[in-house]
Amino acid sequence: MGTKTFNSNDIYHFEELISQEDRMIMDAAREYAQTQLEPRALEGNQDEQFDIGIAREMGDLGLLGVFIPEEYGGAGSSYTAYGVINRELDRVDSAYRSFVSVQSSLVMHPIHVFGTEEQRQKYLPRLATGEIIGCYGLTEPDHGSDPGSMITSAKKIDGGWKLNGSKTWITNSPIADLCVVWAKAYDGGDEDGVIRGFLIERGTEGLSTPKVKNKMSMRASPTGEIVMQDCFIPNENALPDIRGLKGPFSCLNNARFGIVWGVVGVAENCYQRARDYVLGRTQFGYPLASMQLIQTKLANMVTDITQMQLLAWRLGDLKDKDRATPEMVSLAKRNNAGAALNIARVARDMLGGNGITGDFRVIHHMMNMETVNTYEGTYDIHGLVLGRAITEIQSFVPRGNDQ
Amino acid sequence: MNILVCLKQILDPEVPVRDFAIDGSGLQADPNCANQMTNIFCENALETALQLKDAHGGKITVLSFGPDSVKDSLRKGLAMKANEAFMVLNNTGHQPDSAATAKVLAKAIGKMEPFDLVLTGREAGDWGAGQTGGLLAEELGLPYSAFVDEIEPEGEDRLILRQQTDSGWNKISAPKPVVASITNSDHNLPRIPKTRDIILANRKPLTSWSLEEVGISEDELAAEQQKARIKLLSIPEGKSDCEFIEGDSLEDKIDNLAERIVAIARSV
Ligand SMILES: Cc1cc2nc3c(=O)[nH]c(=O)nc-3n(C[C@H](O)[C@H](O)[C@H](O)COP(=O)(O)OP(=O)(O)OC[C@H]3O[C@@H](n4cnc5c(N)ncnc54)[C@H](O)[C@@H]3O)c2cc1C
Repeated sequence: MGTKTFNSNDIYHFEELISQEDRMIMDAAREYAQTQLEPRALEGNQDEQFDIGIAREMGDLGLLGVFIPEEYGGAGSSYTAYGVINRELDRVDSAYRSFVSVQSSLVMHPIHVFGTEEQRQKYLPRLATGEIIGCYGLTEPDHGSDPGSMITSAKKIDGGWKLNGSKTWITNSPIADLCVVWAKAYDGGDEDGVIRGFLIERGTEGLSTPKVKNKMSMRASPTGEIVMQDCFIPNENALPDIRGLKGPFSCLNNARFGIVWGVVGVAENCYQRARDYVLGRTQFGYPLASMQLIQTKLANMVTDITQMQLLAWRLGDLKDKDRATPEMVSLAKRNNAGAALNIARVARDMLGGNGITGDFRVIHHMMNMETVNTYEGTYDIHGLVLGRAITEIQSFVPRGNDQ
Repeated sequence: MNILVCLKQILDPEVPVRDFAIDGSGLQADPNCANQMTNIFCENALETALQLKDAHGGKITVLSFGPDSVKDSLRKGLAMKANEAFMVLNNTGHQPDSAATAKVLAKAIGKMEPFDLVLTGREAGDWGAGQTGGLLAEELGLPYSAFVDEIEPEGEDRLILRQQTDSGWNKISAPKPVVASITNSDHNLPRIPKTRDIILANRKPLTSWSLEEVGISEDELAAEQQKARIKLLSIPEGKSDCEFIEGDSLEDKIDNLAERIVAIARSV
């Protein structure tokens, strides 16, 4: 008897910090994820299947581009609402959250912020309903952490641009109707070689999007290339005003914010599954949960999770007040993705042999976290972003400060 | 058609056994041991009403009696597309029984515009008494049908209520206004609210009345509660054991198993 004040799933009552409206959005996303996605997740991963119907279902519930204003098909929500949706989707499978990250942050966000009014009206409502699917091409085969060195080019010609080059590791590209592609633009003027954004529609001559095969992580999320051979892009499909890496980084900042929240769901799910498992399993005559080594593993997990939760909430609060800086996002993305990967690995270990089968789902999360730790800026690259902010010395380029 | 749906907020009935707790009084569940949520059968009732409205037009009002937190259930009701929300605030700290609840709901309904149809859930996932619908009909002096899973209009003045039975269903024709308690079926799985409707729901007004305002005093409510009282609540202790039955052949094992079952049955 006695009042329960220790909630082992939410030790610092972090969900109380979330506004009533955002909590309702969280509940709706949780209900959808648990009832509609969870039953498909294991098979989707095993068979590398992304059920295209999921895009429409999510669109119908308003989970795509939720922070985009209503007039363009979004719900005009807070960014925290976007965060809590990511947390619920990731709890099931980060592959589904990746789909939403790309559609919302990497495709709808740049069209909304950098697009013309015509572009917004043409694409945003259909992206919001899931009628069309978008992808985002920044990474190239030879340029990942250093996108500024990209070689994809856009040459100015009469009435538009001619694009050549290839992007790889592109989430959704095999199923995308619309590709947001970042390329170096050459118009023969002062801005020669500056990075600009282009909207390429499926069906454009010279465009192909072959699938990346044999992925061992994020298997339910289709990943591919964007290959452009003399693709003609009309003037009206260039993002008008944005120049340089600011454009792609603004999108990444948004998506990384979602990841900060998403991996909280992954870590919580792995911890809860590990806890339930060790409470139920007996070895050497006693429940595993009664062993000291097991208890400290659980204690470390909830300590990390509590930090992750509070960091996500505070970052959301700052972002909703328009005060979140890229360094804040880097810190939280690095911390939360790294911690989630670690928790998934420890949980996998605690489940013993059962941790090796997909049925217990922990190894599924563990494999996904390898991607999340790498994409949207690797763990170490975010460390360098922070290092630069702290010291004001960049260390991306070895001896780059010598001159 | 003007429909009222009564929503009860309860502790999440799916709370894991090890998290469930009884509060210091020993008379009720600890409200902090699990999340508060809308009783599922009440949501089935709301879904039934929403489908009726989608097909034939009309207006849906949701009503709840409970502590301040029932606003969450009412807002969810609005997000699912109910038109208006009302509550009677219970700040006594006690959970009322079905009779007291029915009395309060009837008083509140008396203050509102007339309804053609009043719905409750079949029962609530906390106590499972299944009494409120019938008692409410009694308080309102209206006809009542239980275990209903589908409703259709019959002309202007009547409704057809489909009532589940053990072997099929009854179709009952009832004059408006009527009270029905709703059970779950394949057709009334509650819809998940859309994000945009959630945001709109949070901008809608929600009327909260005190007990006094609906015309019942805390003393009257307490007196009502005295009729059937809980003396003590406790959590049953579950024990499980695993025993392997041996035997040389399959037949032996079956015989030994049967003997063991008989022995256990005798000992309890
Ligand atoms: C499943 C999946 C989906 C993806 N989806 C997309 C997408 O939709 N769109 C898109 O554009 N990209 C996408 N990516 C690409 C992803 O963003 C890149 O993989 C990531 O940025 C890393 O780039 P890279 O793979 O070229 O690795 P590299 O940049 O070659 O890095 C390799 C290693 O070197 C380290 N390293 C690099 N530079 C330094 C340095 N200066 N100092 C110290 N260490 C360094 C890195 O931390 C890393 O450990 C996706 C990737 C995956 C796996």
